[in-house]
Amino acid sequence: MMLRAKAPRRPVSDSHAFPTRSYDLVKEFLIALAVVTVLTVVLAAVFSSPDDKAISLQSWAKTAPSDVVATAAGELAGTTTSATYGPPYNTNGDGQQLLFLPLQKWAGVRYPVDSANDLVVGPLRSMTGDPAVTGALARWDSATAQQRTTWATAYGDALSKAPDGEPAKVASGDYGPVPAMAAGFQRLALTGGLEQQLTSGPFYNADPTKALLLLADGSYLEDQARAQSLGGDQWGMMNETGNYPGQPWLWLYTFWYQIDPFKSSDNADALVWGLMMVLTLGLMLVPFIPGLRSIPRWIPVHRLIWRDWYRRTGH
Amino acid sequence: MQLATVVMDAGGRFIDWGVLHVSVGNLIVVLVMLVVFALVLVLPFPGEREEQPRGGSR
Repeated sequence: MMLRAKAPRRPVSDSHAFPTRSYDLVKEFLIALAVVTVLTVVLAAVFSSPDDKAISLQSWAKTAPSDVVATAAGELAGTTTSATYGPPYNTNGDGQQLLFLPLQKWAGVRYPVDSANDLVVGPLRSMTGDPAVTGALARWDSATAQQRTTWATAYGDALSKAPDGEPAKVASGDYGPVPAMAAGFQRLALTGGLEQQLTSGPFYNADPTKALLLLADGSYLEDQARAQSLGGDQWGMMNETGNYPGQPWLWLYTFWYQIDPFKSSDNADALVWGLMMVLTLGLMLVPFIPGLRSIPRWIPVHRLIWRDWYRRTGH
Repeated sequence: MQLATVVMDAGGRFIDWGVLHVSVGNLIVVLVMLVVFALVLVLPFPGEREEQPRGGSR
């Protein structure tokens, strides 16, 4: 066995022997604060700020009434995203997994949402003065679960085949009370009552979860987001509405969603998170990773910063 | 090789280049950050007056 002699290490001077310079950190902080404040005020005055009007359930019903009807039918049939999401809302899906680790299942159902009853049937029960809705609800309540699903699925399919998804142009069929319920639901949303029903809390109406789940189950919200390049596969995580700059520092996180295998995976969220955790760990452990820790020697940026010292000392 | 294309619609102005889809606003911010980074490397440190090395031990 041949032993290689260890190269003698270059002696490192005691830290007190290094040259020093006095520097006023407080002054730097104050100057930086002043510059950033002036820049912020001037840029805000010149360019204003992104202030898109929030999408409400009422504006959704006004702008895309057919989408509201189709979403209501989907909730009743149990086919929407929220109805099949799994934890934390229900047990109807496996959710995100990291390799074989069911992360989403581990978190458990912490915010139970029954999409059909909580998002559609419950709010409809508040329409006590609407005979069409109360009659439809009575028929819905007396039907079996299987019958309800059959009606709602058939109506949802018929809506998707109708020209422009228009409820008025749906082919005739056995849809039970579903068309009357979905139409009533759209009317309720139009009055603003649906927003009230879904966001009312014990004291403050500060929990928009159900309203957002419902909105996201339709296609209108996604269409609006994609038109502003805010979709996950449009680098949307780092974009802002309109021409305003967004969050370019999220470029690496959102980059993975643009390429395979992530962009075609149902577990993209968990996979990308896992990969970013591995990369973050790598960054934290750079001093211990052979090769990576040598990058400053190959790209000696520090020699550029301390060029005077290197020039004087001849290193 | 496909050149970058600039897409402009109601959703803002974007540059598409291969898999890259970046807004002009974000691109400007990134370029400004790179310029600032290059400047802090090249510009002399403020207050160049230096003190001499002190003694080796406390």
